[in-house]
Amino acid sequence: MADTTFHADSRAADRSNPHSLAALEAHQLQKIYRQGKQTIEAVRQVSLTIQPSEVLAFLGPNGAGKTTTIKMIAGLIQPDQGWVRIAGHDPHQNRRALRLVGAVLEGNRNLYWRLTAQENLEYFGVLRGLSRHVAQRRSLELLEQFDLTHRRRTAVRDLSRGMQQKLALAVALVHHPQLLLLDEPTLGLDVEASQHVKVLVRTIAQAGCAILLTTHQLNVAEELSDRVAIIQQGKIIAEELTRELIRQFSGSSYQIEFEGELGAARARAIVALGASIHPGHISFAGSSDLLYQLLDLLKPLPLVQVKKDQADLTEVFLKLVRGAS
Amino acid sequence: MIDLLIAEFKRSWIQLIRYPIEAIGGVIITTTVFYGLFLSARYMVGPGFQFGDRLDAIVVGYVLWTLVIFIMSDIATGLQSEAQTGTLEQVFLSPFGAPRVFLARAVASLMLRLALILSILLIIMGLTGSRLHFPPTLLFPLASMILGAYGLAFIMGSCALLFKQVQQLLGLFQFVLLFLLATPTETWIGAARIASFLLPMIPSANLLRDLMARQADLMLLPIAIALFNGAVYFALGLLVFGWAERRARRLGVLGGY
Repeated sequence: MADTTFHADSRAADRSNPHSLAALEAHQLQKIYRQGKQTIEAVRQVSLTIQPSEVLAFLGPNGAGKTTTIKMIAGLIQPDQGWVRIAGHDPHQNRRALRLVGAVLEGNRNLYWRLTAQENLEYFGVLRGLSRHVAQRRSLELLEQFDLTHRRRTAVRDLSRGMQQKLALAVALVHHPQLLLLDEPTLGLDVEASQHVKVLVRTIAQAGCAILLTTHQLNVAEELSDRVAIIQQGKIIAEELTRELIRQFSGSSYQIEFEGELGAARARAIVALGASIHPGHISFAGSSDLLYQLLDLLKPLPLVQVKKDQADLTEVFLKLVRGAS
Repeated sequence: MIDLLIAEFKRSWIQLIRYPIEAIGGVIITTTVFYGLFLSARYMVGPGFQFGDRLDAIVVGYVLWTLVIFIMSDIATGLQSEAQTGTLEQVFLSPFGAPRVFLARAVASLMLRLALILSILLIIMGLTGSRLHFPPTLLFPLASMILGAYGLAFIMGSCALLFKQVQQLLGLFQFVLLFLLATPTETWIGAARIASFLLPMIPSANLLRDLMARQADLMLLPIAIALFNGAVYFALGLLVFGWAERRARRLGVLGGY
């Protein structure tokens, strides 16, 4: 990326400031679909808040209600109950609130394939309420920032999938939104393109834009998000800081890998501390005092690593979703 | 709003010229179909028969029918294909609001459509020997007919918004349009004639045939009826479209395919 200085929102509030205006407040959203005599509660009492510069990963299995929630936030689906405020404005009552939202809703299918990268940016800039002149200037800035200047005259259908996805992101940012909705932004991308999009998402958030991210790639969510909300069968079953959620599901035991032979006497002493010995490593679930005694016992054997059991977001997600069902 | 109009014009123009074969193919096919119909009709009546102003009236009806189909496909088929490609939701995220965006699109693409239709008209006139007249007064019935056509196009667009699959309906609707635009209802009398004023676009199509094929003078009452008819159908189209948009938001089918 040529230049990562984004101008996404100069009014970015400090998200540590509790009095700053939330980029998104969704309160008790509810949506019921009727198919013949059947009613499906797609979303039940979902509330979400995102501060400027914050990335919220909104996770859930297929059909859990993620897309319906995102579309209610974007004003594309009318909630049966509840309300949405984007930087204090209701997108269902006031169309001008839509100037504060950018969205990449489904992969790369948000662009006109016959238009070039630059033509798409300029068109969507005007569609989002910018003047033609500002849209042209902004397009050139974004092409530069997203490293697409050399392909600006290429029709979208001839761009690689990674470039299309970067362009869709740029288009969503053309009007300086305060809230960015990203639905599966790295789906179908190769490793390099996916890495590039992740860097872009981080940079956009650092520039002050709040991001609501849905993805099934939980490693991506873990890398990018400050907070996680997990939805299942239309209801939020967990909402927590990402690090805190992972900590809660991480064990308190240690794995100690070493090289060399323990010997019978040392092995007995180690087992006496409550540890269990396996070939090449020791599992230990005691206090830190005892951990250091154990490490003393291992002297002078070379240690390969001492590692605390750490859950990842995939484990956390599966435990929560299976527990709730 | 002017910026939006220019942006929509640019978008329509680029999409048309980036693959010129499509546009040229459309003109050739439309002209060929008419020429085929014309040759069949001449074969049936025999070589000695002179069509006279009847041929001119048919040419006007056919060309108007083609124009209206272009307008329909701009809105209804456009909505359907944008729902498939995912750009429709981006349009509904515009602070301008969908009706204004689609109206800007309609105006922008109309210029291009009129240019295409003029080429078709000139080719047909060259092929058939039809001699039409283009008095400046034809702008009034043309405008009223385009208003009516956009009204119907917005109603079909509403169906596309709610039901997505409107291809078959559009196909059938072409025959309804052919009836509306090619039937010489100006020869009807009594109640049927009055009823024809209430149908979309018919008063305008009558006037256009009179002006272009029969070189009749423009009378105030018929043009007032045509303009009123066009304005009513246009307003109805916009109202139905606004209602369909709200309903699609409630049902959660906006943009979904």
